[in-house]
Amino acid sequence: MVRITQLRAKCIGCNACVEADKYRWRISKKDGKCTLIGGKEKKGWFSILVDDHEYDSNLLASQHCPVNIIKIEKF
Amino acid sequence: MAPAGSFESLHAAIQGGANSIYFGVEQLNMRTKSTHNFILDDLSEIVRICKENRLKSYLTLNTILYDHDIALMKRIVDVSKETGVSAVIASDHAVMNYAKKIGQPVHISTQCNITNIDSVEFYANFADVMVLSRELSLLQVESINKEIKRREIIGPSGNLVQTEIFGHGALCMAVSGKCYLSLHSNFSSANRGACVQNCRKSYIVTDKDTGYELEVDNEYIMSAKDLCTIDFLNKIIESGVSVLKIEGRGRSADYVNITTSCYREAIDSIQEGSYSSEKVTVWKERLATVFNRGFWDGYYLGKLMGEWNDSYGSKATTRKVYVAKGRKYYEEAKVGEFLMEAQDLKMGDKICITGPTTGVIFTKIEELRIDNMPVIQVKKGTEFTFVVPKKIRPSDKLYKIVEA
Repeated sequence: MVRITQLRAKCIGCNACVEADKYRWRISKKDGKCTLIGGKEKKGWFSILVDDHEYDSNLLASQHCPVNIIKIEKF
Repeated sequence: MAPAGSFESLHAAIQGGANSIYFGVEQLNMRTKSTHNFILDDLSEIVRICKENRLKSYLTLNTILYDHDIALMKRIVDVSKETGVSAVIASDHAVMNYAKKIGQPVHISTQCNITNIDSVEFYANFADVMVLSRELSLLQVESINKEIKRREIIGPSGNLVQTEIFGHGALCMAVSGKCYLSLHSNFSSANRGACVQNCRKSYIVTDKDTGYELEVDNEYIMSAKDLCTIDFLNKIIESGVSVLKIEGRGRSADYVNITTSCYREAIDSIQEGSYSSEKVTVWKERLATVFNRGFWDGYYLGKLMGEWNDSYGSKATTRKVYVAKGRKYYEEAKVGEFLMEAQDLKMGDKICITGPTTGVIFTKIEELRIDNMPVIQVKKGTEFTFVVPKKIRPSDKLYKIVEA
């Protein structure tokens, strides 16, 4: 399993994560920040457990995030 | 026009004598990655402070915009109008168009790279003030200003269009700041306010055939020195420019205060007729005490096509060391109480106090007291007092100013 976490408030809406995995990330047209699809919020951090096949694309999302707010862990 | 990247800097700009300030909110400004960033809820407080001090307030909304940014952009422009922000500084046509629709004044950002009179004429459909390209010479600036009068180019307000130029602060190697390097190397777009400053680093050129490496002339070949125009400010005023902008929303309050007050004094002295090379020398010495990469005159005098830095980081002649935090202020005695949190402080030390309401205070320690008893030195962990000319607060930080 893979856990993806995101500190949404710090997102600058650059779209890099969407380019990496458009099925897991979507920019909200409301506030221009990116939403982790399916993520649950706890104290500002959004997280979700996903299957291993999502690891590569979301690793890219975390590496490409200019404000380093996406973390990815493999179990 | 002074930069206000934080409430500290905003007060520092006011204390320095600025006529106006510019600032950004949320993620649609060119200092998105800055540690301090205002949010929409701060807008009314910023405008209140500006109005109270008779300053104009300008909101930067000048990143490139994607479709998903439009709703936020509109909300920012709406709130800026509701709260009474003097104008938004825009580079994307979507902002200009929307602001015009709802009747919020617009300034054209330097990101639009205005280099000729016909562009001025075009943007006059949207704005009364436009920032000219940083790469123009003063002759070109002057010619544009003359032509505005001759052609009677008027903005939406019905008055002649005014021009603004950058007068002091960081310059980068990209034309009008439009740079791809940061996005290329770090997926961190400079045009979304997230520049990682690739141009400030030193690079080595490698001969692919032999692997031989050259460190080019030992210079930071892409790192431009900082713009400083204080020694030819009279020529800038003669060129017909209406607004002089100081760069530095990412800089500290003491930087904002010193640069603003130097340029304020210089402009006033030109008006009074007392502008002199002796004064310029003093101002330049003061400007060199805060962050700088060495100074040059930009492209305005048309002599050099670029002057590059020879070292990394600041060339400031002084630096700040954090030593204590504010506790209380005794109004009648004009005495401030602080808690020493690092290093030490002794009589004769030059200090600077900054805070979100205090702004910035520069002073010298004349007398130090612990439990109301005079002492020569204060060490870490002690509460101490000394005379401070203005009110200090618990949110304030005290820095010792030392030789760099």
